[in-house]
Amino acid sequence: MLNRLVKKTLSISAIVIAIIVLGGFAYIEIGSNRATPITDFSAPFVFGQFRVPEDNPLTDEAVELGRRLFYDVRLSGNNEVSCATCHRQQLAFTDGRQTAIGVSGKALALNSMSLANLMWGPRHFFWNGRVTSLEEQALVPIQHADEMDQSLAELVDELKADSQYKSLFSVAYGRITNENIAKALASFQRTLISSDSKYDKYLRGEATLTEQENLGRKLFVAHPDVKASLRGGNCIDCHSQFLTSGFNTLYDGFSNNGLDSEEDLLPGLEEVTQIRAHRGLFKVPTLRNIALTAPYMHDGRFATLEQVLDHYNEGIKMSSTLSPLIAEADNSTKGVVTQASLNLTEHEKTAIIAFLHTLTDRQFIAEEKFSNPFD
Amino acid sequence: MITTHRFTFYTVLVSMSLVLTSCSSEQDSNEESKAIVLLRGLPTLDTNHSIAIVALDPESENFGEILQEFEFADYAMPLHHLYYSPTGRLYATGLDPQCSLAEVDLARDASGAPVINGVECIDTEGQQVGEDIIWHNVNGTDYMIVSFMAGTGIDQSDGGSIGIFDPQSNAVLRIIEARKSTVGEGDPYIMYPHGLSAYGDRMVVTSTIHADLATGVGNSVTIIDLNTFTPIQTITIEDAQPVGFPSSPVEVLFLRPSIVAGIEPTVFVNTMFGFETWKIPYDESNKSFGEPEIIYSGVDEGTGVPLEFYGNDTELFISHAIPGVVKRYQLSSLPELVSSGPDLEAGLGAHHMIFYATESGRQVIAIQNNLLNLGNADDNDPTDIDFIAKVNDHSITVHDLETGEKLATVNFKERYRKGIANVESLFGSGFVHHH
Repeated sequence: MLNRLVKKTLSISAIVIAIIVLGGFAYIEIGSNRATPITDFSAPFVFGQFRVPEDNPLTDEAVELGRRLFYDVRLSGNNEVSCATCHRQQLAFTDGRQTAIGVSGKALALNSMSLANLMWGPRHFFWNGRVTSLEEQALVPIQHADEMDQSLAELVDELKADSQYKSLFSVAYGRITNENIAKALASFQRTLISSDSKYDKYLRGEATLTEQENLGRKLFVAHPDVKASLRGGNCIDCHSQFLTSGFNTLYDGFSNNGLDSEEDLLPGLEEVTQIRAHRGLFKVPTLRNIALTAPYMHDGRFATLEQVLDHYNEGIKMSSTLSPLIAEADNSTKGVVTQASLNLTEHEKTAIIAFLHTLTDRQFIAEEKFSNPFD
Repeated sequence: MITTHRFTFYTVLVSMSLVLTSCSSEQDSNEESKAIVLLRGLPTLDTNHSIAIVALDPESENFGEILQEFEFADYAMPLHHLYYSPTGRLYATGLDPQCSLAEVDLARDASGAPVINGVECIDTEGQQVGEDIIWHNVNGTDYMIVSFMAGTGIDQSDGGSIGIFDPQSNAVLRIIEARKSTVGEGDPYIMYPHGLSAYGDRMVVTSTIHADLATGVGNSVTIIDLNTFTPIQTITIEDAQPVGFPSSPVEVLFLRPSIVAGIEPTVFVNTMFGFETWKIPYDESNKSFGEPEIIYSGVDEGTGVPLEFYGNDTELFISHAIPGVVKRYQLSSLPELVSSGPDLEAGLGAHHMIFYATESGRQVIAIQNNLLNLGNADDNDPTDIDFIAKVNDHSITVHDLETGEKLATVNFKERYRKGIANVESLFGSGFVHHH
């Protein structure tokens, strides 16, 4: 009996000791990350569900650190180029160039994408969708010879030599590492939410669209159906109603929108999937702030929204991977279709452009917490 | 050695934690299977009315779990029905005179989860007991149209009104009232309005039952000219009276080409106490409505209290509170009712429904089983009305759309001590065309 009591006491003691020891161990591990869950956050319900990686939750410190890194030229090899060089807030985080120019001074192959509402839309980043997370994306331009040309090892050393970064990383993530640099940049970019345009206010019932803007909105959300006398701009087949980005299911957010004929198609998504049917498909971008993000398309070939509308209205080039939704979208009642074309009237094209201007979010491009902290 | 053991144990703990979190994340990923419900506090069970987000994936461990709840401690009566506007705003009609129409403020937290931030009551300019809402464009202008069963006063014996609202500002633009006692003999009237459905410049509104559920029952539908917002015709919808009351037309559906390609527009009406579904032909060329005819008789078929019309891309569903079934019909065969499969055996009070896919992709239908969600006399509940209390299962049942198999049930009275008044998809769960 006594023996059993001793054994039981020892067992309980062992459990208590284990709890104390393990608790201490857990405290040390968790205690190195003293970051505060993000306090000033709100996202529109209608944008839909989003997911933040469980190993990189949004915290005030991570976002602030990411903001600082985003604007820091030390992320480039020559200490002259930051992320913000090609992603300027006043241009909704684009650069106004046909294609970006980095440290090498060479024109890059593709247009700088706008950074807005990145938690929604296609779960693939870059025009060809070659990475599947913002964390993965963040380190690519830094190391690219023509973009920022920075060695990650050197970058870590430079940041370790900066007492402010040491302090910020310490609170946000614990240590200065490649992985934590990527996490911080991703966290900041996740907070770049544009949801205060005239269109957003319209959706919330805080503003009324003009007659022209409302016609444009209706055309935006309609796929033309001649039999039902429904005229449409066919935009919503690729750009979702509220976000105006591409869709997020698998590769639904990628499209060949008829820019090139068969022989001129670039690989696009095919480069990633190795599927021939994906040749010439590029990521469908958000149309948020589109009036600020010229020039347009993956290669910046169109300088104006008028040119973009003209393309969809009369410039579609046929190819084997052209989106079928674009190929068959036609408002013409003439019956014989010789070329893919929307056949919108000038009045309708102008209305769609007027609606696109309602997607401009002045608050977004002036928001202090998205701005350069070094200014 | 001790360190190794400690680390191993810690690793196991961390692994367990990750597994659990991962499961949770997987469950959360299927937002389509979450629903918003209106819950009715039951006086004898000491619970408050509320609006809540509920997990309804029968394949998930958290099936039936309330994920978030927003309670209304001050309301004697609950909110009644939920409706999404075309611009993604969520509205609710309400039974409490303090709040007969409301907008629900939804947002997302930093994890992406939906949150109910609050409910703002809308000024209805005295209209009470909100029922149905539709959004409709007439001559290029968008309107939010709401039926108020008690009109501008529940004390009126023949009250009822239709509120025409600005869908942006929620302001009342006009109130359509035409009480039987105030119009001329034989003139069209609006009384106890409930079901609404519109096509072009014509809207049909049903006359159901006085809001006090005791002093009057309707037996007609009234046509509203939406060019002038005036009633132009009242059509009697009544045949046998199986329970001795007038027929009580409840929900109405203006079948139109946007629902069924190529269809000649036709009006369907369910009669709550006539137990029937009626068809009213519509001649679009001269905007005239033909003779109504019965196309489904609950007396013949053994069902009672038909309520809602819902649909997906291929089928029309009609709920029958007694015995608690949902009948299904081929959409392409409308306006003829051609069965598309066996009845879905739901529960007493089968009423509203939503459609979605489970995590594995199985297409399902969730049916809310409560007629009016009043209390039961057995509980000494003061809200009891004998007939209605017997038609309340207080549950949501989930059924496989392909096989009809009942997959899961959550009983809100047993689990949460509340009744369930309404269910609506959380967001983006597909095309539904009731009302």
